[in-house]
Amino acid sequence: MNRATLTLLALLLICALSLVAAQQRARKLFIAQERAQIEERKLNQDWLRLEYEQRNLSKSARIRDVALKQLRMSPISPERTLYLKEAK
Amino acid sequence: MRPVGFSTSPNLVLRLPMWRSRLMLFLLFFVFMLLLIRAFWIQGPGNAFYEAKGIRGTQRELELPASRGKILDRNGQVIATSLEAKSVIAYNDTVPDDLAADKVKKLASLLQMSESELRKKLSEDRKQIFLKRQVEPAVAQQIKQLEIPGIGLNNEYRRFYPEGEAMAHVVGFTNVEDRGQEGMELSRENELAGHPGQRRVVVDRLGRVVDEMAILQLPQNGKDLNLSIDSKIQYLAYNAVKDAVEKHHAKAGGAVVLDTQTGEILALANYPSYNPNDRKYLTGEQLRNRVLTDTFEPGSTMKPFTIAIALEKGAIKPDSNMVIGAKYLIGPKPITDTHPYDSLTVAQVIQKSSNIGTAKIAMNNLSAEEMWDFYTAVGFGQAPKIGFPGAVAGTVHPFKKWMPTDQARIAFGYGISASLFQVARAYTVFARDGELVPLTIERSPEFKPGTRVLSAKTAIEMRTMLETVTEPGGTAIKAQAEGFRVGGKTGTAHKLVGKGYGNKYRAYFAGLAPISAPRIVVAVMIDEPTGGSHYGGDVAAPVFSTIVSETLNTLNVLPDSKVKQMVLQDKNPDEIRTANVQTQHVVLKR
Repeated sequence: MNRATLTLLALLLICALSLVAAQQRARKLFIAQERAQIEERKLNQDWLRLEYEQRNLSKSARIRDVALKQLRMSPISPERTLYLKEAK
Repeated sequence: MRPVGFSTSPNLVLRLPMWRSRLMLFLLFFVFMLLLIRAFWIQGPGNAFYEAKGIRGTQRELELPASRGKILDRNGQVIATSLEAKSVIAYNDTVPDDLAADKVKKLASLLQMSESELRKKLSEDRKQIFLKRQVEPAVAQQIKQLEIPGIGLNNEYRRFYPEGEAMAHVVGFTNVEDRGQEGMELSRENELAGHPGQRRVVVDRLGRVVDEMAILQLPQNGKDLNLSIDSKIQYLAYNAVKDAVEKHHAKAGGAVVLDTQTGEILALANYPSYNPNDRKYLTGEQLRNRVLTDTFEPGSTMKPFTIAIALEKGAIKPDSNMVIGAKYLIGPKPITDTHPYDSLTVAQVIQKSSNIGTAKIAMNNLSAEEMWDFYTAVGFGQAPKIGFPGAVAGTVHPFKKWMPTDQARIAFGYGISASLFQVARAYTVFARDGELVPLTIERSPEFKPGTRVLSAKTAIEMRTMLETVTEPGGTAIKAQAEGFRVGGKTGTAHKLVGKGYGNKYRAYFAGLAPISAPRIVVAVMIDEPTGGSHYGGDVAAPVFSTIVSETLNTLNVLPDSKVKQMVLQDKNPDEIRTANVQTQHVVLKR
């Protein structure tokens, strides 16, 4: 075997090994990407859930209930309201 | 004789027959050829089958979930949203047949089904099968921890409605497939629906995704929908109707609140209602959106329209005097009033809600065609185009078929039918100085030009008359709202039972406020009130009053009637304005 053949063989081996390494890397990155996407979806869902919970806490029925019973407030009426006009 | 060598005895010579070796050669060649052909077949023409088999084991098509759009109210508050729920799927070719009994038992209990039922599902000859849908996230997590090969979780969405009963008829609900079934969920299905995508992935033995082959279709999320409804006003309208229905032991009730400037529907309440979050109650009577789908004879709420035509023609004036009497004989049955009057002015006909007066105005001054034209122009007999499922048109029979007795009765609202929504819409004519406003249920807070059907003069005259209805001497003093001048018309209609009128009533009130510059139109209907009075002025007018005062306060409308101020008569508003918040409090309290 001459030198050229040996060099080519070595190159072939390096290529083969780097292919394996690249595939491994691609797979790792893919898994990381999948994880990130799942995380993104999860965070998105968390946000929606929090928005829903906030809405649940701020819904008219609850506010009315808390205002009337816990805070002992009464509905506004014009006779107890002072209307201010915006300054021009 | 040929000499025979010692070492070459002919008897010792073994000679294989040629045919045997040839046969062997042929057989070997034949078998190799068979193998070659088979190999060629597998690699070439027959490849698809094996490729498919290979893909079946390692590749899978997964759905990329797309969420349904949210429904928001006019202030951006969520009134319908989709949250993630999991569906449990079994890939039956991957689930091992000898699955441990305790795992089956655990899975069955998590899925709330019997073991035999689960085993039956797992042995079905299908590639994949839904074991359960819309599973709570916590339960889904436990199923995942069982680590059963071939049992996968898919993302799904479940719809939640934070406003519950109060908003149920407006938003409607979706089915388990996330498709709209009622209300806006149904009518705006195309915009709201998300379109899931699909991707092909490579999975390992445990069903984990290890590589992505291709995205076959990108997912498309649904669009959000902004409604014109104000959840606060909706809630107070719903509550007012609910209280009245309970107080008067009525069968049902409804109310609608319209913004006269923008044509937006601010509230559309119905009672009895249902909780759209609970699938158990999604059938039956309570699903009916009575405001839009029930028609009734509008009764006295029709009178202002009849009289407006005569005013517009110049045939009468608000102060024209007319003879009323106890009976008006026309057709087989005389027309009567609840309280008989000798004479009334036109304005008083409205204020006292006189059937005879209205019938006489119609018969003496108007043709059937003129009446039909005007009723149609203000929207009676046509389904409102607001994109709501099941909105009805009501009936206004062709004027050519009207007998004189029909004409007289139609003049005060019998013999035609309309939904409460149509009545409310028609009242925008008086609120908008003679223009009929196009209505919308989607948020669009800009001023809308309307179609002119009356002169501004007639509309304003009618408004003044409508205000007298709520003043002493009128039929609806209980419609008065604190701080605001209001106007409107009561209605009490006998309900048609079978072929005649029975002993059941509907009470309504339709009106507008504040009179000086009308901002809202409110129409209220209470069906079959039984406890005590059944008159519109007693049953529906107080609901109107509550809704009007709370709505106008919510919309920050300045009061237009004189109110006795309980606070700060002697304070200079400038002093308050310039004070900081805490001092303002003190100033207001003093």
